[in-house]
Amino acid sequence: MDQSLTKSEFVGHPEHEPVAKRSWLFARPDHKTGLVSWLTTVDHKRIGFLYGISALFFFLVGGAEALMIRIQLAVPNNTFLSAQTYNEMFTMHATTMIFLAVMPLSAAFFNYIMPLQIGARDVAFPRLNGFAFWVFLAGAIILNVGFFVKSGLPDVGWFGYAPMSAKAYSSEFVGDMSSDLWVMGLQILGVSSVIGSLNFIVTIINMRAPGLTMMRLPVFTWMTLFTAFLIILSFPAITIALVEVMMDRNFGTHFFEVSGGGLPILWQHLFWVFGHPEVYILILPAMGIISEILPCFSRKPLFGYPIVVFSGAVIGFLGFGVWSHHMFTTGMGTVATAAFALATMAIAVPTGVKIFNWIGTLWKGHLMMRTPMMFALGFVWMFMMGGFSGIMHSAAPADAQQQDSYFVVAHFHYVLIGGSIFALLAGIHYWFPLIFGRKVSEFWGKLSFWVIFIGFNTTFFPMHFLGLNGMPRRTFTYDGNMGWTDINFIATVGAFILGIGIAVYFAVMIYTYYKGERVGRDPWDGRTLEWSIPNPPPPHNFDVTPHVHARDAFWYEKEHKAEIAAEKARQAAEDEAHGGIHMPSNSWFPIITACGMLTGSLFFANHYMPGAIAGLAITFLGAWMWSLEGPGGYHLHPTKDGGDSADSNY
Amino acid sequence: MSSHAATAGPIDHHHDATTTTGIPHKKLFMWAFLASDCMFFGSLIATHLVYRLHPPVGSPDPRDIFSIELTSGSTFILLMSSLLMALAVNAIQKGNVQTTRRMLLGTIVFGLIFLGGQVYEFNHFVHVGGLTLANSVFGTTFYTLTGTHGTHVAIGVLWLVLMYIRSFKPADESNGQSWILKGSAHFLAFVGVVVVGMYTLLALIHAFEEGHGLGYYFSHHFISFGITLALLAVLVAFARQRTPVDFGEANAIDVESMGLYWHFVDIVWIIIFPVVYLLEYIVLP
Amino acid sequence: MSASATAEHPADAHANDGKFHIFVELAMILAVITGAELLVIYVPFPNSLVITILMALSAIKFMAVIFIFMHLKWDKPFCTILFFIGLILGGGTLGALLLIHGAKDSQPVGPAYEEQV
Repeated sequence: MDQSLTKSEFVGHPEHEPVAKRSWLFARPDHKTGLVSWLTTVDHKRIGFLYGISALFFFLVGGAEALMIRIQLAVPNNTFLSAQTYNEMFTMHATTMIFLAVMPLSAAFFNYIMPLQIGARDVAFPRLNGFAFWVFLAGAIILNVGFFVKSGLPDVGWFGYAPMSAKAYSSEFVGDMSSDLWVMGLQILGVSSVIGSLNFIVTIINMRAPGLTMMRLPVFTWMTLFTAFLIILSFPAITIALVEVMMDRNFGTHFFEVSGGGLPILWQHLFWVFGHPEVYILILPAMGIISEILPCFSRKPLFGYPIVVFSGAVIGFLGFGVWSHHMFTTGMGTVATAAFALATMAIAVPTGVKIFNWIGTLWKGHLMMRTPMMFALGFVWMFMMGGFSGIMHSAAPADAQQQDSYFVVAHFHYVLIGGSIFALLAGIHYWFPLIFGRKVSEFWGKLSFWVIFIGFNTTFFPMHFLGLNGMPRRTFTYDGNMGWTDINFIATVGAFILGIGIAVYFAVMIYTYYKGERVGRDPWDGRTLEWSIPNPPPPHNFDVTPHVHARDAFWYEKEHKAEIAAEKARQAAEDEAHGGIHMPSNSWFPIITACGMLTGSLFFANHYMPGAIAGLAITFLGAWMWSLEGPGGYHLHPTKDGGDSADSNY
Repeated sequence: MSSHAATAGPIDHHHDATTTTGIPHKKLFMWAFLASDCMFFGSLIATHLVYRLHPPVGSPDPRDIFSIELTSGSTFILLMSSLLMALAVNAIQKGNVQTTRRMLLGTIVFGLIFLGGQVYEFNHFVHVGGLTLANSVFGTTFYTLTGTHGTHVAIGVLWLVLMYIRSFKPADESNGQSWILKGSAHFLAFVGVVVVGMYTLLALIHAFEEGHGLGYYFSHHFISFGITLALLAVLVAFARQRTPVDFGEANAIDVESMGLYWHFVDIVWIIIFPVVYLLEYIVLP
Repeated sequence: MSASATAEHPADAHANDGKFHIFVELAMILAVITGAELLVIYVPFPNSLVITILMALSAIKFMAVIFIFMHLKWDKPFCTILFFIGLILGGGTLGALLLIHGAKDSQPVGPAYEEQV
């Protein structure tokens, strides 16, 4: 893609004076390639890519932790892992998968795809976007430090119930700060998620291309918006809860300390006020991806677009009113239990509505059974099954038996793997040609799908029976005469098949990245704007800001070529008259500020206050310099011919 | 992302033509953040109230510890600071930098009075009332809730100070290094005045409470008093600068966003004052 | 930058008017309401009435600050909607938690809560 013939400094002065000499401290880095270009990037596509590979790395880490668990449970009375290590494994498996795999993988798509779908060149606050990623990485490091230190990994479960998270249960002999690291890690990840989400909300509301009304937004962008709302409204609750635990552990307070008048149940409430919206945070992006893939591969528009969007909103909203269904067995009393049971049943309605709409999309469509479609169809079926077991939980009396048993484990793995992961894996296949300009081989893609599908069901379907037969969760071993032996063994075998499937998937992706078949633009004959640009996209995304005339904006463009061509010519002239395309400048301060947060948190978790204060100082200085360096920016003047770039930006 | 429109012609502070909705990005961002902060304080207030529903036997009685006059005074101070903040935004939207600076300073001073009041209050509660963070659930929730609010106020004051200093950035950009040094010195002077000044003032109050006279006070706090005066003189010297500055209507959106944050901190206190303090005087023995 | 400072603003005529006075008057009113809140706790009304009055007065102050000081009255409605989403969710969660913990089944029991030791 031929880009800037001229590159001009953006200035905020009407007279367009050249910028006077600024201090070297505020010189904006302008590397296009190399390590520095990645460390200082503000390009939403690069940031999305960074989130993506980090997420995929931690997905493997979490998967390894899962295999540890399954090996330990393969046979009764196993001694592969000690009870302590087992506790660390299930804590880290869940924490890693939720916060370091699924959420950042969703964030990867939000970052990469959403601005393209709304016709924008970047997000509203590009440096803040980069900052959110580096802070995420800081949080990931803090959570995993335990692999390298004596006190070990967090072992309190991903939900860290009080009073287990109290100091009394941290071993004094090894200076156990594993729970402190868990607390700090989650806090830092919370900062990253909230900041990123605020950015996405402003971007989607405020940076849409001309003509792109809200009801013309692609469903994936709608789900990005709803997820962002869920994040900014639910994370404060866990922030407070974690602050309270941190104060109990470090300042002797009595939030959850019964002897001092504390109420451990309050932790459960505050955690699940966050925790329930969190699971909708995990599934809504997946639903968005599926709502893009199914129409594309059914060669039909999405059935019932307004109701799909509205259902997403209702799920998000109701998701805040059902949290105590995780606490049916805590003795809240009849009224509270009944109220939450009813609310939980209600939330099945909009979810079901979406499923019917997806089926309606498939109905009488010309189905193209490519790999993304296989994963998407797998999603619809597997997520439905997870939903059925979920509805069974909503009946509080039934839940009294299911709570804390493997029935729950089966339920959430069906919605999280069969739901979120399938959709994310589908999304990788679907958007791979856009991001990298190469297409994954159908044979190997489908093979990976089937191995994953078989492995996944082999592992988790039997767990429904395991739960109904009474096997409790989070126990490191079981006796041979409980009748659980066979199913556990089958589940372990399934887990390894799933592992093999994932390994094939990863191998395929890596191979395709380097040697896959190159494809031109729009290989799937798509309907949304991200397919209208070269693949891989140039840094400025669109040569000309698109004008949107209908839902499925790119489809309209394809059907009305002449009209669109004339419009683009007019817009190009207008852009040029304005001085070209305005692009944000790179910056060092996002990563510097994030480093301050990383060091400060690590010192704080280790109870070393001078270090914590030093970290805070670096954070403050980084943020201050960031505000002083100003928005910066430069202009691009793309040439008339929008050729495809053969070179990847990566 | 084009900001061309903002520099062409007069600025409309109520409509940003470069955004889809007409709401400036920073304003939208701040309102979304404040919505999030509602959940944040909601959870904290919930924690406090839940524990007030069933206090354990032997819990301290807040009425023995609270000084409702001090707290009412603090409430009034914060309200006035909110007024000054609104006036600062109003001034910068008209491009009146001098008034903006005065209003910002006023907000800072009132914010510091509020904070000083809280420091005094907490000190009093701990040493005279015997209420600490760790010796009762009430202490735990009270200090955490009001302390978090106080931290928000402190962050706001910090932001205000930085904005105030920013308003002195010279329009002539040719000597960037000197501005950085000057700005840092200005900032450090502020930090010094706040820290040393607050210590000096609280020591004065303390001295009076203990029945000592001014002479005793000055002989014991001569140095800190002197440093405070010297740093104040430095601040006055900085404030008298009259060179043209790179600060005006175009920065109104930043002052406005900061104003939104400051007002939010005020409305949280509007909730905390009755719910944490006043309610204790009427609810059951 | 300084050129635009003195230009007229055709689009927002109300910036050049009594905003200053509106703000100052509001501050006075808020001070009076605060005084009223302080006084009402000493008036011998039944508790429920006093609490209701306090909540109402706080709500009035709250709304006044957000609509006038924070300018929501004159801004685009979306800002109001955005903030109220957070406010209602926060208030709702607070209310739900209080209701749950007020229920008989949620009363903590044990030696720490018994009158006689």
